[in-house]
Amino acid sequence: MEESAAEQAGDALGLVDHAQRQVAAEVGLPRGYWWAMAAGWLVLSLIAQAGPAWLAAVATLGFGMGHSAFAARLLSGRRRTSGLQVSAAVAGRRIPLIVVGMLLGLAGITVLAALALNADGADHPAIWAALLTAAITGFGGPEILRVLRRWTRA
Amino acid sequence: MTDPQFDELIHPSTRLSLVATLAAADWAEFAFLKDRLGMSDSALSKQLATLEGAGYIVTERRLDGRRWRVRARLTPAGRDAFNGHVAALRQIVASAAEPVDGPAANP
Repeated sequence: MEESAAEQAGDALGLVDHAQRQVAAEVGLPRGYWWAMAAGWLVLSLIAQAGPAWLAAVATLGFGMGHSAFAARLLSGRRRTSGLQVSAAVAGRRIPLIVVGMLLGLAGITVLAALALNADGADHPAIWAALLTAAITGFGGPEILRVLRRWTRA
Repeated sequence: MTDPQFDELIHPSTRLSLVATLAAADWAEFAFLKDRLGMSDSALSKQLATLEGAGYIVTERRLDGRRWRVRARLTPAGRDAFNGHVAALRQIVASAAEPVDGPAANP
């Protein structure tokens, strides 16, 4: 009798765990954020390659400020979809750090790719490198963030 | 630490999943809950009405463009009831796992 009650209680706890894992899986940033980031990356590289240095500096500053204002609401990772807002306790506090770390990593990849393309004698290495990073960001942003969350247990 | 308090209203599996989902969120929309819990409109409405009647959740209608959307959120009373119920479930599982003292255990 007691074993049956414990079994039922265990099943009920399993249901609770499953429901809460489903909500935790919703932590992330909207797909549009990643595509906007990819587009910004590409536009910056075009300006850097074709425009004057002052314009590239202004554009980079503007992009950074725009991202800060826009991402302040999104970086918590609690509003990936319009269907729910994940609680702060479930989302944790490390999502913004992971996203910023990921963006820095992508910037590093862009620089390395541009250097490699330049050494290979390619035309417009910065644009090709940015195109590569933009594709990674746009197509794989949510998946990369999911993997990083798993690695860091965030 | 939440005091264990078995809650008959929350315990049925559908309602428990619903409350557990809302406990992990600040709010959730009707369509999200319906999709994740695999429930029909009428079944979900009925469960939400029951929980709202008990004061465990509140629902609100919001106009989004041209469409009305229903959001549900757990009230503090609902959160307390859910936490107490989960604590009670854990207590039941833990007490069943404890070794039983008795003649058979000490030959």
